[in-house]
Amino acid sequence: MNIVVCVKQVPDTAEADVRIASDGSGIEMEGLPLQINESDNYALEEALLIKEDRDGEVTVITLGPDSSEEVLRMCMAKGATEAVRLADPAFDGGDAWATANALAKAIGGMEYDLVLTGCMASDDGMTQVGVTLAEMLGVPHATYVTEMEIGDGAVTVGRELEGGLLEKLEIKLPAVVTIQTGINEPRYASIMGIAKAAKRDIDTKAASDLGLDTAEAGKAGSKTTLLGLDYPPAGEGAEILDGTPAEASTKLADVLKEKGFA
Amino acid sequence: MPSLADKYELLGCIQCGRCTAGCPVSLRTYLNVRKVVYDGLIGPAPKGAHERPEAWSCTTCATCTERCPKGVKPMELLIGLRGSSIERGKVSPTIRDALESTFKHGNPWGRGREKRTEWADELDVPVAGDGDAVPLLWYVGCTPAYDPRCQDVARALVRLYEAAGVGYSTLGAAESCCGNEVKRMGEEGLFELLVEGNREAFASHSIDAVVTSSPHCMNTLLNEYGGVADEVVHYSQYLAGLLDEGKLAFKGSVERKVTYHDPCFLGKHNAIFDEPRSVIERISGVEFEDLDRSRERALCCEGGGGRMWVEAEDERGERLADTRVKDAVELGADTLVTACPFCLLTLEDAVKTSGCEGKIEILDLAELAAMAL
Repeated sequence: MNIVVCVKQVPDTAEADVRIASDGSGIEMEGLPLQINESDNYALEEALLIKEDRDGEVTVITLGPDSSEEVLRMCMAKGATEAVRLADPAFDGGDAWATANALAKAIGGMEYDLVLTGCMASDDGMTQVGVTLAEMLGVPHATYVTEMEIGDGAVTVGRELEGGLLEKLEIKLPAVVTIQTGINEPRYASIMGIAKAAKRDIDTKAASDLGLDTAEAGKAGSKTTLLGLDYPPAGEGAEILDGTPAEASTKLADVLKEKGFA
Repeated sequence: MPSLADKYELLGCIQCGRCTAGCPVSLRTYLNVRKVVYDGLIGPAPKGAHERPEAWSCTTCATCTERCPKGVKPMELLIGLRGSSIERGKVSPTIRDALESTFKHGNPWGRGREKRTEWADELDVPVAGDGDAVPLLWYVGCTPAYDPRCQDVARALVRLYEAAGVGYSTLGAAESCCGNEVKRMGEEGLFELLVEGNREAFASHSIDAVVTSSPHCMNTLLNEYGGVADEVVHYSQYLAGLLDEGKLAFKGSVERKVTYHDPCFLGKHNAIFDEPRSVIERISGVEFEDLDRSRERALCCEGGGGRMWVEAEDERGERLADTRVKDAVELGADTLVTACPFCLLTLEDAVKTSGCEGKIEILDLAELAAMAL
């Protein structure tokens, strides 16, 4: 079974004070460590588990700058067999549509049974690439998948819905499945493994290699335009408990008691 | 692939069992060091710690290696088994997260690099500028920098340095994890990366001497970095020296009955037993008595060797830190002093889990010393 996993390199903002860049085009990236998008990491793990169970290839693919090769190498260190990077200045500034279009051109030329990707990118939170890619490839899809079992020519998935509901679906292969975090426990990629992967080839493809006209790629090929970014307006009713951790936790306990939560 | 027997020179083993008999965690886990060595020799040899989860119970206290009459290093074998699991990606999520955080942020606690100096926001702690010569570097360490409880220790050290009027500097947010625990979790590749980065950072400041807050940092900077400075000492040694030279003096009195827990990486690994005790004994009002299991025979707190990030899976008895706290209470001490951030955290937790709350206080040596200023 051949699986393609679409991954994205994103900044780790969990611990950062995120600031909007002065030109308004995005956030200030300086000092932010880069990493694989969280749900993509779970998608990769799911692919590796399937590969260990029933053989086949796992190809990881990304569209991104030179630095995104670090993510591909980490994926190879974990067990991905092939890596592809869509690299071309023409891809710059693309939205989810343009990204899905380039991925569809690349994946459409591969032999695959299943395409996995994360359900959402943690940087722009669009959730659009997986579903758009499925439409462009002309294959069925399922999103926010937290359970998955490969059957005969089909995959049974459990989709996370609101209110804790789980929707069970059987979809025919080939298909695109977007993976929710928590479906598995991603493995660790050792530094030695990443160093070994650095010696392996990454297949780099430009827009012309995909038969993609530059007018269809990147910003020119996008359907949406970013108008600007703003900080969320400060609301009311929030209270910051100050003091040492011991003092703050005592205050918090008092608040919880007072409000009837404990 | 060399066999485990060749790789870890196990052929000298005579199966006498001194390793297992001395192993502190064998009191409470199913780790049987002699048996692991036996299996390494006779087979079937385990492929990694994922096949022998008790290898994660080891705190790398070094008792087994110290006691072996034939010079076998069973601790290295256990670390090697962890390393094989790391290479296969088969480690617990808590270990994985600690290692990934160390790679990304330079600390195992999942905290951002830029927050490394927040503990000192209200203080005047010097940070070396680019290329500044730093005759004396205080290597703060990840746990004193980020852990709210251990930040108190870092702040106490600042008060002591200021009282002694010593000139020192830190690396600020440019400081990265020393890798002592990373190495013992078996992630040799990440350890080498950290060594390379830290050596470069140290070299750019022409450092003469390094003082560390943690015995773990001291151990690796001193013994595993191939000479980063003429002198690398733990702060307990440094304070003892300042007291000897008369640069630091305790003017206050602390009326407490104190006992001391030897951190493994200060004591067993580096034979530093006297200096912390000499600091304690110079404080007027302190009544000091050693625990029965002290110095080379000290019970381990189970915080070392990566165990801050993984609970022993095969526990069958009381946590050693609980035992330690109860021993101190039984001795009649009202204060159990240690000199290591991991010991401080595990022992303080143990006060609660052993039901000794209100009976004893856990202090770091730096905190006790700062009380006596």
